[in-house]
This record gives sequence, C-alpha cells and structure tokens, in this order.
Amino acid sequence: MTEQDGAPAAITILLVEDDAPTCWRLQDALVKAGYEVRTAGTLGQARQAMAARAPAVLLTDLRLPDGHGIELIRETRQRFPDTEIMVISALGDEESVISAITVGATGYLLKDAFPTDIATTVRELVAGHSPISASIARFIVRRTQTTAAPPPGPLLNTARLTPREIDILWGIAKGFSYAEIASHLGLSRQTVPGHIKNIYRKLEVHTRSEAVFEAVQQGLIKL
Amino acid sequence: MSEVVVEPLVTAKARRRLRLTRLVPYVLLQVLIVIACILMLRLMPPDDPDDYAVSEFSLRENGATQAVTLPHYTSSRYSLQDPPLYSGPFTFRANGAQTAWSVFLPRFSNAVEVAVNGVVILDSRRDDTANRPDRNTPQIAVITSSLLHDGSNQLTVRLFVWGPLKGFLDTVYVGPDDALRPTYETRTLLFVTLPVVFSAWQSLLAVILAIMWLMRRREPVYGVLALGMLIGALQAFVPPPVPPAPYPQLAAILLASAPIESALVVVFATLFFGWRWPRYGMLLFVPGLSILLVGLIASQPLPRIVFLFLGVPTVGLCLMLLAIIVTNAVIKRQDAASFTFGCAVTIVLTCWFHDMLSVFDIVPDDRTFVTRLSYSAMLVAIGAGLTWRFARALNQVDSFAGQLIARVREAEERLKASFAREEERARAEALANERTRLMRDLHDGLGGQLVSIVALSERGTDGAPIADAARAALKDLRLVIDSMDDIGGDLMLALGSWRERAAAQLRPHDIALDWHVATPQGLPLHPELRPWHVIQIVRILDEAVTNAVKHAKARKITVTIETLGGAPQDRRGVIRIADDGQGFALPDAGAANGEATGASQTARGLRNMKSRACRCGAALEIDSSPSGTSVRLQLPQRFPDSDTAAG
Repeated sequence: MTEQDGAPAAITILLVEDDAPTCWRLQDALVKAGYEVRTAGTLGQARQAMAARAPAVLLTDLRLPDGHGIELIRETRQRFPDTEIMVISALGDEESVISAITVGATGYLLKDAFPTDIATTVRELVAGHSPISASIARFIVRRTQTTAAPPPGPLLNTARLTPREIDILWGIAKGFSYAEIASHLGLSRQTVPGHIKNIYRKLEVHTRSEAVFEAVQQGLIKL
Repeated sequence: MSEVVVEPLVTAKARRRLRLTRLVPYVLLQVLIVIACILMLRLMPPDDPDDYAVSEFSLRENGATQAVTLPHYTSSRYSLQDPPLYSGPFTFRANGAQTAWSVFLPRFSNAVEVAVNGVVILDSRRDDTANRPDRNTPQIAVITSSLLHDGSNQLTVRLFVWGPLKGFLDTVYVGPDDALRPTYETRTLLFVTLPVVFSAWQSLLAVILAIMWLMRRREPVYGVLALGMLIGALQAFVPPPVPPAPYPQLAAILLASAPIESALVVVFATLFFGWRWPRYGMLLFVPGLSILLVGLIASQPLPRIVFLFLGVPTVGLCLMLLAIIVTNAVIKRQDAASFTFGCAVTIVLTCWFHDMLSVFDIVPDDRTFVTRLSYSAMLVAIGAGLTWRFARALNQVDSFAGQLIARVREAEERLKASFAREEERARAEALANERTRLMRDLHDGLGGQLVSIVALSERGTDGAPIADAARAALKDLRLVIDSMDDIGGDLMLALGSWRERAAAQLRPHDIALDWHVATPQGLPLHPELRPWHVIQIVRILDEAVTNAVKHAKARKITVTIETLGGAPQDRRGVIRIADDGQGFALPDAGAANGEATGASQTARGLRNMKSRACRCGAALEIDSSPSGTSVRLQLPQRFPDSDTAAG
C-alpha cells in the first residue's frame, strides 16, 4: 500500500530461472515496472539469496538444474509466510501449477506473457489477488467431483471448498467474467477475487498440515 | 476289378469267423445252463414226509369204481357236477399224545374238497391262489380231534376239474401236524410267496418303465415293455374266478394275458436290441387276441381248450424268438445286457419245455409247473439290463458333458484371445488416428510458425516478427494441448481457456475484448464432441480474431455466445465475433478488384475457416462492411462422427 506513493522503496523479487534469455526477458519486464529484481539460476543460488533476506515475491521455475522448484516453494512458505510465491511456467500445465499451489504458491505466470502482463500479474499478486486461469479452475473442480478413485497428481483438499466456491470455479472455467459470475450468484463483484484467494488458501492449508504431520513423523518437530 | 470283389469276401469271411468264435462259447454256456436247470428241477420238489403217505385209494368216477394208487391222473377234463371221488382208509394211533393231526395235499388240480369220516375239513375252491394250476399251491388242514377215532379212519377227496388239463392228485399225507407243516411251509414259500415277490417286482418294473416311456415318448420300447409288465402283474394279482363264476369273461382275459405278454416282450426285445419291427410281426398277437375273443363269446371249457392249443405254444414260440434275437444281439454287441437277457431266456425256455412235457404226460411228473416261476429270472435280467444301459447312458452323458465343458473352455480362451487382439487393434487404431490428428494440427499451426521463425531469423530480421511467430507457435501448442483435455461435451470450457488466450493476444494491441454470454447456460452440451471438433472451432475463432487485429484496425471485439431454440432437441449454439474495424472486401469482390497480398491472405484465411466449419458440421456466415466485420458460427445439433467431410 505504501508503494502507491511511488516511493523507490521498491518491492524485492527473487527470480529463479535457469534459462538465461528467459530470465533476462522477465527481469527486463519487472525492472521496467519498477521492481527490484535479484536472479538465481539454480536451487542452491536461490537458497543462498534467501538466506540473506526474504524477498517480497518469489518467482520460480519448476524444473531447475539441481532440484525441483516445489522444494523451494515449500521451504519459502514455511520460513517466510509473508512472501508471495508465483510459478513460472512455459505452457501453464495444470498439474505443475496445482502442485505448486498446494505447497504454497498463489499464482502463476507464463514465460511468454507480454511484458506489461508480467508486471500486471505481479502487481495484482502483491495487491492480494490470486490470478487463476480457466483451465486451472476446471482442474480444481474436476478434483472435487471425482471422489471414487482419486486421479493421479497432487492431492487436493477440495472437500473443504464450499458449493459457492465451486460455482465460482465453474464460472471461471467456462469463461464467464467476474461480473457475470457475481450477478449469476448474487454476489458483489469485489467478493469474487476474495473467494479465489480463499480457494488458494484452502488448497494450501491442506498441505501445510500435511507438512507438519510429516515433520512430526520424521522427528523434525516435537509437539 | 477282381480285387474289389475279393476284398469284401475276405472281410465277410472274417466277420463270419468272428461271429462263430463268439457264438460257440455262448451256446456252450447256454447248454450248461439248460443242464443246470434240469438238475435243479429234478431236485426242486421238496421231500415229502413219506412215513405218513396215503396212496391206496378207491376212485369212483363216472359211475364206475376202481382201485388207484396216488399220484393219479384222472381222465376227466371238466367235472364239477359229479367230480371224481377218492376214498381211502388211514390209521390213527392216539398214543395218549395230544398232538393235532393234519391232512396235507402237496399238489392237485384244480380244486379239492377233503372230508374225514364224512365231515368236510377243507375246500380249496375258497382259496384264490389254490385255483391256479400254474402256481402249484399246496394245502394243509388240521383234523378236529373229535372226528378221529383210534384205528382206521376214512379219508375222501373230491377232485374238481375244469380243464383243459386232466385232473391230477398227488400223494396225500395224513399225520401229526408238526411233522407235515414244515414241508407245507417250504412248498408255500417256494410256490406262493416267491411268485408274489416276483409279481411285486414286476409291478414295480411296470411303473418304472411307464415313467420312462412318459418322459421319453420317442422311444416306444419302454412303453411296450411297461404294457407287458402291467398285463403280467394284473394276471398275477387279480383272483381268478372259480367255476361257476359270475363273470366268466374275466377268466378269458386272464387266460389271454400270457400269450399277449410274451408277444409284447418279443416286441420289446426286438426294439431294444435295435432291430426293425417286421411287417408281419403283429401276427404274434393273433393267438392271444383269439383266446380273448373266444373267452368273451364262448362259455367254458372252450376258451381253456383254445388256450391250451394256442396260448401255450405261442408262449413257447415267443421264447424261442427271444432266444434267437438275443443270441444275435450277444454276437453282435457282446454287451452285459444282452448276455444276461440271453441266459434268462434260456432258463425260461428250459422250464417251458419241462412244463410242456409234464402237461402232455410225456414225462411222468408230479405236475409242478415252473415256467411262471422262472419267468422271474427274465424280469431280473430285464431290470438289470435296463439299469446297466441307463448307467452307461449316464456315463456317456457325463463324458459328453466333460467334452462339452472342455470345448466351451477352449472356445472361451479363443474368444478371449480374439477379444484381446481386437482390443489391441482398436487401441492401436485409436492411437494411430490420434497421432494423425495431432500431426495435422501441429503441421497446420506449430510447424508453420516454427518454419517461419527459422526463415525470419535466417534473414537476420530481429524483433517483432520473430516474436510474433514464436508467440503464435506457443499459442498453438497450448491450443493442441488444451484440445486433448476431456471437457465432457461442454464447449464452454474450451471457450473459457480461449478467452484468456485471446485477451492476452489483444491486450498489447489495445483492443478490448467484450465477452458476452447471452444465455445463462452458454452453449448446449454435446456428448459427441471430440477434441478435433474443439480444435477446428477454436481455430475458426482464432482466425476471426487475427483478421480483426491484422487487417481491420478494430478497437473492440465483441464475442457473443448464446443458445437458440427452445426444445432440447433443436437447440443450437451460436458464437458471434464482431469487430468495429473497417472491414475487408469479401473474396469474390476482392478477386475482381485485384487487390494486394493482404486481401489474398484474408481470402485464404476465410477459405480455411469455411472448410473447418464444414468439417464440424457448423454453419459459418461472414459479413463485412466498412463499419465492421461479423463472423457468425452456428454449431450443429450433433457433431459429425468422422472427419471425412474435409478429407
């Protein structure tokens, strides 16, 4: 909120991407939008960068030379709950994006997005919106419906989603605008993004508790 | 030529030799059985207590009196009014012992009335079974002690004869009851109880055979035998009328039963051993039916005489026919049923000859008839043969069922294998089809774009054109991937993704995307919707948007989605894309104007859109005017199954 004044107390972004041209491109777009961007090409470099100071936003690719971005997301979410996390994806494939969301990501960015869109998406994320695409929304709803045999892929805590949230997801999946969804469901337009944020949080909550459970199991935490 | 003739001769000779080797042991065995039978018959009559025999009698017959010695055959054939009267003395010694005395008559025909000192103590006419000449029934009667006096007593036996056989009276025994009764009981067991047992067996056989016939009407063989057994059982259990009887016809029916029964058994044997019933076979029933007819019309003693001269030989003839049939079956089949049956026939035949010799006084005998008794051997053989055959049939059924199960299992395996092959083939075909489709889609979009990227970068162009081509390639890749998703027939889900891509495409050009879903449900569901349909539709929409961006200089693109038609069966989805650009000349007009490359590219794009719409069975309308372009895509009610429309 304080940044709206245009003060150069810039938002720091850690960009983790091993492909140099892609990294430059994203960095250019973000720097041009006024963000302070640090970059890392590997998981190790990213951890080093994080050790010094937590960034406000973590933008990370998933396939990294020395590991998987999911690990970085999980660690970051646990150590710095205030950091906004975003996945960079080439094709926006639902499987990877959902995996990232379940460990703490709150949005995703396509690598070929226009520079303005890149900046806009990050800005919205910082402002508290969670961008969601039609195909991701559809993917989540599908998981709520197939209860008999869970499909392969990440486990989703979809049982916690309310019918209203599922309706919103369906609306997004079918290309309705937020305004149309709001009017169909008798909501105010502003509440729809809030619901989406909730959906993200619920999906993530599931894995947080799971992580705690796992940590207890492995003797990392004593209760 | 000669070889052809010789060969059957050789086989015929071999067959004859084979038959002979089978016949000889069988015949020898039958001879042994005959000898055994004769020996048995010699030994069979139980020993009578000779100490108490009374055989010196005076016989008064037809007014004349003479001295006779028992056993005695009278010349009378039919004497009921004035029957032959035997009278003779016997000596009674009281000795102070209080034992009762009895009169014991081992054998007589047909009925007797016994009196001691003028008082009647026994009348066998009251005993039904005693009136059957073929049953050899003995009689015993206790003499009331008050009738006897020490010393000589008078015994009189009145013999009732009703032919056709001559009267016969065996030696009479008078003595202490406990000395005579064991012999009497042995005879009763042998000649009364045993036949009842066999008759019961015969009735049972009749019931079983009748049930078999009822369940298997196609095989008259069991019905024939059931009828025979039934007649035999009736004959055994119906009490014969004693003359003068109120219903003499009943006697005729019973008389006729024996030849009819034996004829039926011949019919059975013929059918059972697989022979064809000869055309004149029915003649075998003529004697039995004649006796029946005579019995119904004429009065006694004619039916009995007819029986003696027609019925008894018929029985013998039938037995001989049976022997021939069975011998043949034994030679041909060598099975247990025919063998047992053959031995039984031999026994019965031997006994029949024995009885004939006895009837015609050729062999002096005490006139014990054994044919009826030996007939039980045949009944046992029939029962055994049927059971044997039944068991064998069951075994055959079992093995057949086993074979059937094995065959079905084999067929199942084959079917399974064929199903698996078919499934594999279908899967491979589906895979190949999908690959072809993907190839075409990638070739249409991604391939072309990558080639143009290569071309642009080789020419040294940098910046926007390459970026555009690469972005278009990525967009197309996403489209192809998206199209693989299962959207469950809801085109809206595909349009939702498309909207995001289109919005991202339009944003840099500062073109607004006005998205409007006119009906709440959007588009109707199409369960038959396939990925390749989706790809065609999305490409049409892409082309429309691209045209608006590249050529029309539009500021706003409006997408309207709605469903037309009320009833579920004629609902049609409509997607309309309208821009506010300057429009373009439609191909026909463009060709006339001879415009530049932009127009020809547009023309190609439009042609593509049309052909894609046509493949999906959708109707495409394009309107262009200086105030804007409108593309209206009306979806079909049902998407076509195959992609043959475009080829």
